[in-house]
Amino acid sequence: MLKDITLGQYYPGDSVVHRLDPRVKMILMIVYIVMVFLVQGFLGYVCLAAFLAAATLLSHIRVKFLLRSIRPVLFIVVFTFLLNILFTRGEHPIVEWGILRIYWEGVRFAVFMSLRLVFLLAGTSLLTLTTSPMALTDALERLLKPLNAVHFPVHEMAMMMTIALRFIPTLLEETDKIMKAQTARGADFDTGNLLQRAKAMVPLLVPLFVGAFRRADELAMAMEARCYHGGRHRTRMKVLHVGRADGWACCVTAATLVLIALERALL
Amino acid sequence: MPVEVRDLSHVYNEDSPFSAAALKGVSLTIADGEFLAVIGHTGSGKSTLIQHLNGLIRPTGGTVVVDGMDIADKGTNLRKVRRRVGLVFQYPEYQLFEETVHKDIAFGPKNLGLDNDEIERRVEEACRLVGLPYEAVRDKSPFELSGGQKRRVAIAGVLAMEPKVLILDEPTAGLDPAGRDSILERVQEWHRAGTTIVMVSHSMEDVARLADRIVVLDHGEKALEGAPREVFADAERLTKMGLDVPAVTRLARELNDAGLPVPRDLYTIEEMEAALLAAFGKGEGGC
Repeated sequence: MLKDITLGQYYPGDSVVHRLDPRVKMILMIVYIVMVFLVQGFLGYVCLAAFLAAATLLSHIRVKFLLRSIRPVLFIVVFTFLLNILFTRGEHPIVEWGILRIYWEGVRFAVFMSLRLVFLLAGTSLLTLTTSPMALTDALERLLKPLNAVHFPVHEMAMMMTIALRFIPTLLEETDKIMKAQTARGADFDTGNLLQRAKAMVPLLVPLFVGAFRRADELAMAMEARCYHGGRHRTRMKVLHVGRADGWACCVTAATLVLIALERALL
Repeated sequence: MPVEVRDLSHVYNEDSPFSAAALKGVSLTIADGEFLAVIGHTGSGKSTLIQHLNGLIRPTGGTVVVDGMDIADKGTNLRKVRRRVGLVFQYPEYQLFEETVHKDIAFGPKNLGLDNDEIERRVEEACRLVGLPYEAVRDKSPFELSGGQKRRVAIAGVLAMEPKVLILDEPTAGLDPAGRDSILERVQEWHRAGTTIVMVSHSMEDVARLADRIVVLDHGEKALEGAPREVFADAERLTKMGLDVPAVTRLARELNDAGLPVPRDLYTIEEMEAALLAAFGKGEGGC
């Protein structure tokens, strides 16, 4: 019943991209986003496309999965395209039809704008497809560590995120089970007007909340029983390493960035 | 009103990288008034199988026919199927939600659209069937009851639908011995009163004592099927599937191997007692 909800789309694998240090991947992702917004000319887009294609190829992720992550926001892409094509003014009109006027510049701008969105989505999806949510939070904790200096509870934040992520599948499973149990007792979650449907959620939500609190309590107890105490002096079981592949990834990204920046500067 | 399972298959997350076949072509008929036990290792497809029996999940292959209603058919009214086949999930107390025990048990009958008198009658009857003191608990919050009592309330919630077939998924999991015995006793009573029972269990002792017939699932396929004596006779195969035979059967086999005149296929304490008395008793009385 809940198979339509996908949260965290990690696609397990053992490619070079999967094995990159999550911190490096995260920083490279930021650079990539900068590139997407920096790019201006045709050549820059070719560079960006080549970069994305190479990363996808190396990750062994099927293009189908990348495209699937774009589908939910396809509407926004199309909308952006139409807005830009209709409302950009230029000097070379190609279609004049009543009040509608489409300029050559508009077409160009609309295509680039939509491409920009698609690149943005495909790139970030590639990150979440190749990096487990746990690795991402781990990386985030390391990258935000300097904030400790201003007494920002980085470790606690990361721990909360980890726990939340860890329990999403559990809660989904539980939701599915309770839904089925109540359906077996004749509950109906799918029909009726808005008010009836909201009311139908009570037999689902009450047990779900009760269960979540019970779990939270048990987890807190289990953590205390193992002497868990916050951030300071903790060591890690899995220590992150920056390796040679990470170096290459940085070089390639830097080269692409330079190319794109050069094109922008020269045009 | 038999339940017929025909060549049932189920694949979770079909065409995704996480697809997993939980059932592979299982066929089985559940006769009226029967007590069927379903056993199998964790992940053998037991839960998937029983969720098909009242149409909670739709098969990806094959079908289940309940009282002439085909659950694979999109036009079938599944609520009618669920009226006939009641399903008690594992740890059913985690589905309680109402303010009072009465309201919680009445949830099912209310969904059936029954009138208040009938609902009242069914709630009282369901309480009696699970052995809850109706007057004492009806206005209590289900959350303030003990674990065993919570489970009774949850089971009563399904019984109040008055199903012809009752499916129980590990009804005694997590209960203390006294609670376990009293639940099983009740199950036996409902069976005697004519309800068809399908019980999933990990306890070979319970299965041996209660079931008319046993179905063993292994990796989504039906591995063995038959009366307890036939199934437990194949101890080697059961062990290979990560299952066990009742302790009594194990003892009988060992005694037999040691050369004592005890049959190898005993599976209840009573049978063992009779066999031992026949072998050694000879009316000497006391030992």
